[in-house]
Order: sequence, then C-alpha cells, then structure tokens
Amino acid sequence: MSRFFRGGDDSSTDSSSEEEEVYTSEEEEEKVQAEDESSSEEESDEEESDEESSSDEEEGTKKKGASRFLQSDDESEEEEEEQSDDEATTKVKSAKDKRFDELESTISQIQNGQKINDWSLIANEFDKLNRQVVKLQDGSKAPKSYIKAIADLEDFMNETLAKQKVTPKKMNATNARGLNAVKQRIRKNNKEYQTQIDAYRKDADAFMESDDEVAAPKVVSKVRFEAPVVSAEQQEEDDKGFSTVDSRGKVVQYTPESILKHLRAIIESRGKKNTDRLEQIKVMETLNKVVPITPYQKIRVLQTLISARFDLGAGGAAQMPLDQWKAAERDLASLLEILEKEKDHVVVEGAEEWDDDDKLPTIPEGEKYLKVPGSVVSLIERLDDELTRSLQAIDPHTSEYIDRLTDEGSLYNTIFRGLLYYEHLRKDASLEVPQESLNRIIQRRLDHVYYKPAQVVKILEENAWKQVSAEADSEITPRSQSGDAGKLINILSNYLFENSEGIIRARAMLCQIYFLALHDEYYKSRDLMLTSHLQETIANFDIATQILYNRTLVQVGLCAFRKGLVYDAQNTLQEICGSGRQKELLAQGVMIQRYSQVTPEQERLEKQRQLPFHMHINLELLECVYLTCSMLLEIPLLAQTGSSPDVKKRIISKTYRRMLEYHERQIFTGPPENTRDHVMQASKALAAGEWKKATDFIHSIKIWDLMPNTEGIKTMLAKQIQEEGLRTYLFTYAPFYDTLAIATLSSMFELDSRKVSAVVSKMISHEELAAALDQVTETVIFRKGVELSRLQSLALTLSDKASSLIETNERTLEQKTQGSANAFSRKDNRGGGQRGGGQRGGRGGARTGGNPQRQAGGTQFTGGALGNAVRG
Amino acid sequence: MASTSPATTNGDVAPANYDLVLKLAPHLDRHMIFPLLEFNAGRLKEDETDKAREILAAKYALLKKTNMTDYVANLYCELEGLKEPPAEYAERRQKVFHQLEKYEQETAKITELLQRDDVVNNLRSDKVANLEFLKKEHDVTIDMVNALYDFGQLQYSCGNYADASELLYRFRVLSTDNDKVSYATWGRLACEILTMNWESAMEELQKVRESIDTRLANNPLAQLQHRTELVHWALFPLFNYDKAREPLLDLFFNAGFINTIQANSPWILRYLTVAVITNRGRAKNAGVHQKQMKDVVRIVKQEAYEYQDPITRFVHALCIDFDFEEAQQQLVLAEEVLRSDFFLLAHADDFVDSARHLIFESYCKIHARISLKDLSARLGLNNDDAEKWIVNLIRDTRLDAKIDYKEGTVVMNHPPSSVYQQVIERTKGGFFRTQVLTAAVAR
Repeated sequence: MSRFFRGGDDSSTDSSSEEEEVYTSEEEEEKVQAEDESSSEEESDEEESDEESSSDEEEGTKKKGASRFLQSDDESEEEEEEQSDDEATTKVKSAKDKRFDELESTISQIQNGQKINDWSLIANEFDKLNRQVVKLQDGSKAPKSYIKAIADLEDFMNETLAKQKVTPKKMNATNARGLNAVKQRIRKNNKEYQTQIDAYRKDADAFMESDDEVAAPKVVSKVRFEAPVVSAEQQEEDDKGFSTVDSRGKVVQYTPESILKHLRAIIESRGKKNTDRLEQIKVMETLNKVVPITPYQKIRVLQTLISARFDLGAGGAAQMPLDQWKAAERDLASLLEILEKEKDHVVVEGAEEWDDDDKLPTIPEGEKYLKVPGSVVSLIERLDDELTRSLQAIDPHTSEYIDRLTDEGSLYNTIFRGLLYYEHLRKDASLEVPQESLNRIIQRRLDHVYYKPAQVVKILEENAWKQVSAEADSEITPRSQSGDAGKLINILSNYLFENSEGIIRARAMLCQIYFLALHDEYYKSRDLMLTSHLQETIANFDIATQILYNRTLVQVGLCAFRKGLVYDAQNTLQEICGSGRQKELLAQGVMIQRYSQVTPEQERLEKQRQLPFHMHINLELLECVYLTCSMLLEIPLLAQTGSSPDVKKRIISKTYRRMLEYHERQIFTGPPENTRDHVMQASKALAAGEWKKATDFIHSIKIWDLMPNTEGIKTMLAKQIQEEGLRTYLFTYAPFYDTLAIATLSSMFELDSRKVSAVVSKMISHEELAAALDQVTETVIFRKGVELSRLQSLALTLSDKASSLIETNERTLEQKTQGSANAFSRKDNRGGGQRGGGQRGGRGGARTGGNPQRQAGGTQFTGGALGNAVRG
Repeated sequence: MASTSPATTNGDVAPANYDLVLKLAPHLDRHMIFPLLEFNAGRLKEDETDKAREILAAKYALLKKTNMTDYVANLYCELEGLKEPPAEYAERRQKVFHQLEKYEQETAKITELLQRDDVVNNLRSDKVANLEFLKKEHDVTIDMVNALYDFGQLQYSCGNYADASELLYRFRVLSTDNDKVSYATWGRLACEILTMNWESAMEELQKVRESIDTRLANNPLAQLQHRTELVHWALFPLFNYDKAREPLLDLFFNAGFINTIQANSPWILRYLTVAVITNRGRAKNAGVHQKQMKDVVRIVKQEAYEYQDPITRFVHALCIDFDFEEAQQQLVLAEEVLRSDFFLLAHADDFVDSARHLIFESYCKIHARISLKDLSARLGLNNDDAEKWIVNLIRDTRLDAKIDYKEGTVVMNHPPSSVYQQVIERTKGGFFRTQVLTAAVAR
C-alpha cells in the first residue's frame, strides 16, 4: 500500500480505506489525461484497480501516463461500451452513491490541480465540492473524503503561500486570482469542520478507518463473492427443515404480504460493499418459490432475482458462474412467459416506481396496463454478454466449450421471445415503447445469425418457433419467412437500416454484407459495401464496429477469391493481411507487443473485445489465400520490372515481398512445411517458369480443404497459375528471343493457342511487352532495340524524378495557399496530356502509365479501419 | 451466341431476347412508350397474330389513362372487334372537351396578357416582382397561373404536345412554386421530345439536369431516380439528333450519371456503347473519344456480371480479352440486335462500320503482319473490297502500314518510340511549371 502511494501523491496523504485507494490510483492514471471521466466508470473499475495497482506502479507513472494518453480515444469509446454493458448495475445505484462518486471525481480534480499548480482549476472545483457536500452531509458530519480533501488543500495552500514569499517569481494573473479566492474561502469553510479536520490531522489513518460502517449501513457480512459457490438447488435442500434466518440471527417468515418489503431491502443493499449476493439470491429464490401470488409480485421478484444473478459476474474478468447463468436464463424465460400470459402487466422503461410497501398496486383507473419499471431488453443483452464472456474464457479446444456453446440455442430462443414481446408492446402506441429497445433486441438477434451458414440459422429458427405458441407470429419476421436464412437476415438488417441510425445502422449493413459474402454472393456484397460508404466513415465508429468492418472486409475478400477474382481478393485483403496484425484487427487474439506499452487496463479491454472462438475466421486460411493472390500478382510484376532501376516503384504487397526476400536469402531450403513455405516455393517455381511445379506446391496445401468446393478452387488456381506462368515466362525470357511460335508456347503451358494469343495480345496492347504478332507464321516477334542502356534508363528515372519534384513543389505551395493559387488549374490538363504521351511510348510508357489492368479494377476498398493507423 | 441462348429456333428469337422495352418502359412516360410499341408492332410478321394482339392490348392499357379518347376508342374497337365504340367513350370525350373549354376560359386572360407586347416588356427576371406587377396592373391571381399548369397537363394528356409545351412555358415564366416549376420543366421536355423538337428538348434537358443537381442535392435517392429517368428520356435526342450527341455523351459520362447507370439501369450501357463507338469519326476531339472509349470498356467490364448483350460482349471480347474471333461473332449478333432496337435501328450500319474499324485498329496495333485473306474474312468482305477498305483506312488514319501484294499480306510497322523523345516529353513542361511556381511564390 505504501509503496503504491510513493509513486503518486506527495502531499503526505495516507489512508487505508478501499474507497480511497481506488480513486487515488484512478487519479494517477488521469494525471496526464486530466479528463473528468464519468463516475460510473470509476465504479466499474473499482474491482480491477485493486488488483492492478500492484506491480506497474513502480515503473513510474510518466511512461504509463503517456501511453495511456495516446490511447485515450480508443479507451473512452470502449469504456462507453462497457458502461452500457453494466447498465443493470448503474441503473440501481442509489442517488447517494452517485453523489459520492461525483464528490470523489471533484476531489481528484483538485488533486490534479495541485500537482500542476493550477489554482483557477482548484478554485472552480473547490466551489463545486462545497456545493456537492451540502447534499451529502448527514447531520453535522461531512464525508471523510471531503474532510481529507479540504485538509490537504489547506496544507497545500499554505505551502504555496510560503513559497510565494520566498521566491519572487510571479504567478500569472488567473492563477493568482484563483489562489486568493481559495485562500479566502477555505479559511471560512474549514472553521465549520474544524473538529473533524483536527481529528484527521492527528491521525489520518485512524480517521479514515473509524466508523467506516456508517457509509454502508446494511452490511451483512464481509464475505465477498469469492466464497465457494454452492449450487442454489443444493442450498435449498439444505434449508429444509430449518427456518430461514437472516444475518442477524432473526427468524424470517416469508409471507405474501411481506414479500415486497424483503425485495426492497435487497434492492437497497445492492451495489453496496460487503453484501453477500449469494445469500440474497437464495432469499429471493425462496421468495419466488413460496409466495408470489399476483403477477406483479412475480414480475418484481424475477426482475430482482435476475439482476442479482448478474451482479455475481459484475466487474472484473471473472465471468458469471455457469449455474447462475442457466438459472438467469430460466428466470428470464419464465418472466417472459408471465408477461406473455398476463397481458395487462407490462414491463416498460421509465415507468413510475410503485409505492408497494403497504398495498399492492392495482391497475389505475382509465388505463389498460399496470406498468412495472424495468427493461427486458437490458436483461437479455446482459445475458448475451455474459455468455460471450464465459465463452471467451473457456479454452475452445475442450468439450466444455462445446457444451457451453449449446446454450446459445436457448439464448437465441430467449432473444426471439423478447423480440416477440417487444413487438407486442409496440403495437400499443400508448405505451410509448421506444424504437430503440426494439432495435437493440433485433440487433442482438442479427448478431447471433449473421456469421452462421444458412443451415445452422435454419435450425436455430425452427427451434425458436417451436417454443412459442402456434398462433404467435412476428410482424417483422413472419413465421412463413423463417425458413430462408438469407431472407431473414435481409429482413432484420433492412428493418434496422430503416429504423435506426448511426452505429446500429452501420452494423446492420455490415452483418448483411458478411452474410452475403459468406454465401458466395460476391457482387451483391461488394456493391452493398461500396454503396454503404462505410470505408470513409468507419474510423469514427467504436472499436467493436471497426472489428466487424474488418471481419466483413475479410469475408468479402475470401468470397472474391472463391469466385476466382484474384485481383479483387488481393486488393480487399491487403488492408487487413498486409498489416501483419490480422489477429488484432479481427479480434481473434492479442498480439504480443514488442515494447510493453500496454497498460493492464488496455490489455483487459483488449481481452474483452476478443471474439469467442466459434466466430473466428480461420487465420491460416486467410493468410494462405492472401499469399496465393499476392503471388499471382507479384511474380509477373517482378518479372516485368526485372532489373530496371525503378524496381521499387510498385509493390503490391509488402508483406509478401518481405517473405519472398527472406526465403531467397536462405541457403538451404528444405521441403515446405507450412502454408507459407508452400506458397514461397511455388513462387520460386513460378518465377522460373515451372508452372507445373508451382501448381503442385499450391495444390498440396492442406488448408484448401476447409473451403467449400475444394476441387473447384484448385482448378481455378491451376488455371490462374498457367496464365500467370505464361506472362512471367514472356517477361523473363523475351530479351533472349527473336521470335517465339504461339504453338510452342501453347504446348509449353498447355493452353490452347487462342488463349495464348489472347494473353500475348493483351500484353502487347497494354504495352507490357515490346512485341508484335505475325499472323501468317503464327509467331510472336520481339522488337529489337527497346532494351535500354543503363544510361538511358537512368536518364528516364532522372526525368521522372524531376517531374515529380515539380509536382511536389506545386502541391506544397497549394497546401500553403489553401488552393487559392489558381495558376495550378492548368496542372491537371498538363498531367493528363503527359500521361497520354507517356503511353504512346514503348516500355517506358508502361511504367509511367501504370499497369492498366490495375487501374481498370476500379472498385477498391480503401481506408480499412485501423489500417490507417497501421500505415501511419 | 445462338448456341448459348436456349430456345433459339429461328434467327429472329435471339435478338428478341435482348429486347429492352420492358426494362425501359418503367422509366419512360406513357406517351413515350407508345412509339416503342408501335415499332415493335411494325416489326412483326404477318403470321404472328397472337403477338400483334398482345401489343395491341398493351397499347390499349397504356393509353387508357390518357385523354386521347378517340384513339383509345378506336383501339378498343380493334381489340374487341367492335364496329362502334361504346358510349362511355363518347361520354369521356365530352367530358374532356368540357374540361378543355373550362381551362381555356380560365387561362384566356393570362394568355392574352402574355401576348401583349406592353405587358411582356414590363416583365423582368424576378418572378416575384413579375407576379406582383401582373397582380397590380392586370388582376392576375396565382390561381390563374396554376390553371396554366393544369391546362398544360390536360393538353399533354390529350396528345396536343405543342400546345402543352407552350402553356407550360408560360407557366414557368410566372410561377414561383419551385416544385411545380420543375414538374413543368419535365413536362416540357416530354413535349419537346414527342414533337421531335430536339433543340429545345436539349435546352429543357439541361434545365432538368441543373435542377436535379441543385435542388435534390441532399436527397440522394430522389436524385438517383430522377437521373435514371433523365437518362432514359435522353435516349430520344441521343439517337435522333446529331448535334445532341456530344453534350449528351458528356452528360452520360458525368460522374453522377455514370454511377446512376451502373447502379440503377445497366441496360443503358448498350446505348452508351453504341453511341461512343459510332461517334468515332465524328468526335471533334480524338482525345475525348479515346477517354470515353476507355470509360466504356471499364464500365462494361465492371458491370459484366449484371448486364450482358452482344454489344457489350463485343466490347468485352475486343478490348478486354483480345479475343478477335469472339468479337467477330458478337458483332454479327450485335447487328441483329441493333436492327431490332427502336433507338438503334438507324445506326446499325454505322455501328458495324465503326466496330470494324475498331477491330482492325487494335488488330493492327498488335500484329506485325496480317494475311489479307484472313483479314477480309474477318471483316466479312471479299478480297478486293477488303484491300480497298484497308487502303482507305491506311490513308485516313495515317496508319504506318504497307500492303505486300505478292505475299498477300499487310505489313505493319511499329516504330519504337525513342528514349530521347520520352525524356524530352517528360521534361518539357518543367520550365513553364517552375515559372508559374515562382510567380505564385512571389505573389
């Protein structure tokens, strides 16, 4: 503990209360960030900080702070998300707790101000603090943390004043004004709390520790939830024959009348420290079993029970115990059942709380419903999140994982029923159920189906429909349509697209694209991807959506590959695979950072983002596809550029080039072992014109078996290799031939002569090859004298560089003058003309003009999420 | 192609597979669809009575909603085999006449006013002021102006396109209602197209285009729909009025419109391709034509998965795959398709000719020596004609080629461009650009 403090505040504060420790560590991290993070985050981080505050602190806060600062954008986004995850928790936090949190954040602000000597900040925050504390005072006692803060502040102020006298260096005006304001106010203010301050000064530790319990009046026991988890059923059995006893040893009788009182007591103790949550759950289970008579009571008990179960998993990396999850799922199902049965009871957000201590609420006059406050969708979301969390934690190669995965079916059913329920609610406009809840639940449903093959979706759907009553039907997704997975996805995402905006809308589109790409609808998915314009805006979305975007992008790329569109596939995958951070970008594993810049906090967030294993895209297959595509594009290009001085000019895939270079540097190459070796050896063979060998290498890669229609893919690849082999051969050996018979080429590459001449024609037409066809003798005649001497090619390079220099100059000036220099409007015409001129030229033209084939692609996805960050 | 399309019993069915009327129709006005149907009916043979009847029924359904009562009545008679049209048509006719008269009266005053010189001379470009002026001086109300619009609509519906156009023109001068003005512009465009008054049609087209670009700028969906319609309507002037061709091609290649074509109506590619290919010799600026050709090739390639017909396949075979035999085959099919297309009928020969040029051009570019006999087969001409054709071509395009008569070959000469030339080319602009740069810095 003391070690921990040395790193931070030097104003000799000391305390031992847990509460204090938390915010101090928090505040340390915020030193650089200097940002007021909302209070609830602190609350949710609480558990973590306990564990984290240990080792890293010694490394000095500076470095950590800086890296944190760099990451702050991502972080805050992520934290927002977390906030919503923990919604259930935040919701029930009492107003008093919230105020405490506010108070603490203000105090930490003051301490920040002290550190950087910013008196105007301190003055502001001090005022705020005083306002806040009025609300929190019970009797004459002010909160201890407040006392500590003002005492410290006074000390610090005195110190500063003393310093001021010694050093004549003047403070700036605002600072001085702030200091004066604080000076005057603090003297007056502190008189009121003089006794408490004195107590604190005397012995800070003792003061902070004393009557700790006051803050949490309903402490039952000190047992935390690490206590052994005994299954609820078992406990109940144990209870038989004994009367139930509460923590103070009193016998408690559960009667229908008192049920709500008990509930209230439990709700009030929620979120407080040292509550035995298991105990409460047990109580509530009994409640649920023994008494509920009216649907209102049932609903209330179930609601509280489910939330209490979720509390067990709250905070930290610890996921919810399996039996609790199952129980929660069951409870949620029965809650939905009750709601379906009792149509006059509805659970809506933002309904008034009932004063139910004395008498049961009844349906008010003139209204159709008894509104119970609560949110079904939040409960469902939470249930979903908990499942994901536990899947993240389980080793995917065990049978446990598969067991757990079967729960997804029942979860899907629950989501589906929830959706039906919300549709039912929406029908009555008087309830004013927000569109957003419906959107959220549909989004969840979509999240569960979009990455699955159609057959699996179909089974899920069938099961879901089976468990609801036969006459129930959904408006959005009618029963008759449920058989067709594609239609279902289409309906769901279109619904979201029309009825929502922002992130949900983007996600809906991405899910649809993903599904289409998964089912080989390349053009549809590509068109959707392009019309969505997401590649421009994706950087502004939260990280989860960016991950989804990356996943979708990869899936589209793989789909293009399956279609045999090598160029498109390479282009699409480039962004993700070229970065070398596929794992991270797809959230399928944490990268090991070379320089440990990652704070534990970030690491935890990163871990939370990880996708459960069953959603993964096979990375090895992805790499294999990417490398194969790169090979098919790069090898002819390498052959084309040959040894000319501007080899480095165009590189399609840096990753591939690097691997190839590494491979070539090896002195001995053994037989290929992994995918990468296979592709590299195939590349070598292809470069040497041995296309058959290359095909063999590629075909012997095992992972193709994971693709549907393996044979088709292999034939496609063989064909591509043949063609690219021919091109490579022509590029490589053209200088050594005068003429080449088409027939020879055709037998060499086992292509029919029409195809060969088509390929050659294409190359000639694109000015990649200085040659011409002789129709009479069916030969390719290579033109002589096009080989440039070294001097000539250097001259060409020089002229290129000169013109690019001019261009850069112009661009720089344009930027400086903000494009106001109209003189440059000429530039475009000129550039166009030049390019045209360049293409008329022979080989040089091909270089300046760029490969026309590449330009013709037209549809390119660029600006992938995080991709920019990688390049930057 | 004949082998790929099923159910090809005779040559006539294949082009029918590529009939676009059904695709075009939803984007055209009913008055404009009529000539298309008429054309289809005209192409039918004697024995195809079923089809003729079908078309007749389609015509009737098409015009039923218009006010061309007499014609509709006739159609009905023909369809049902009656001698006398039923009474309801006479009734409707009466009604229409009444309406016409009513509007005539309502608009009489304003029409008369607008014909008076002293009034017209007082009009300014400010519409609000104009209306104010007319109101003050001549008791013109806004209702009267709107009556002009309604009257125009009625006239159009009756088939009096010229009158309708005139009325809408007057309305547009006075009205301040932006929505109605843009409708009126569309209306006028339709009138001008139907009266084949191409010059003013082009003017209206420009106006519509501007209003799409400006007024609908923040409603992409409406913009897309309007553009689609405009592109379809523009087909009429594109193939009927030579002067319209260049501006319209420019319009089609405008980023917004080309995207519209790609996204919403890829079949327009056929017309675009034909227009560009036939525009070859006529284009004032060879560079522009080359660029357009390149764009067409690119788009044809991109859209190949969505739309294909012999014309786009011809382009694909020739410019992307360099498969000359396939191109040749497609050209034959394309000609048939062209001959059965309302818009392209007149351009079929032109297209075939230009396409041949195109084939030969890229053929020469790639080959060093071509046998004359083979070439003539490829061009579908006999030996002597082919020779003549080539000589003409060599002379016209200043192709660097010679005919070796003894061998029966055409020998192409492709001089490699010299390196020195390239270096000079590349550094040519440098001095000037640097000067501009210095001037800009000095400022």
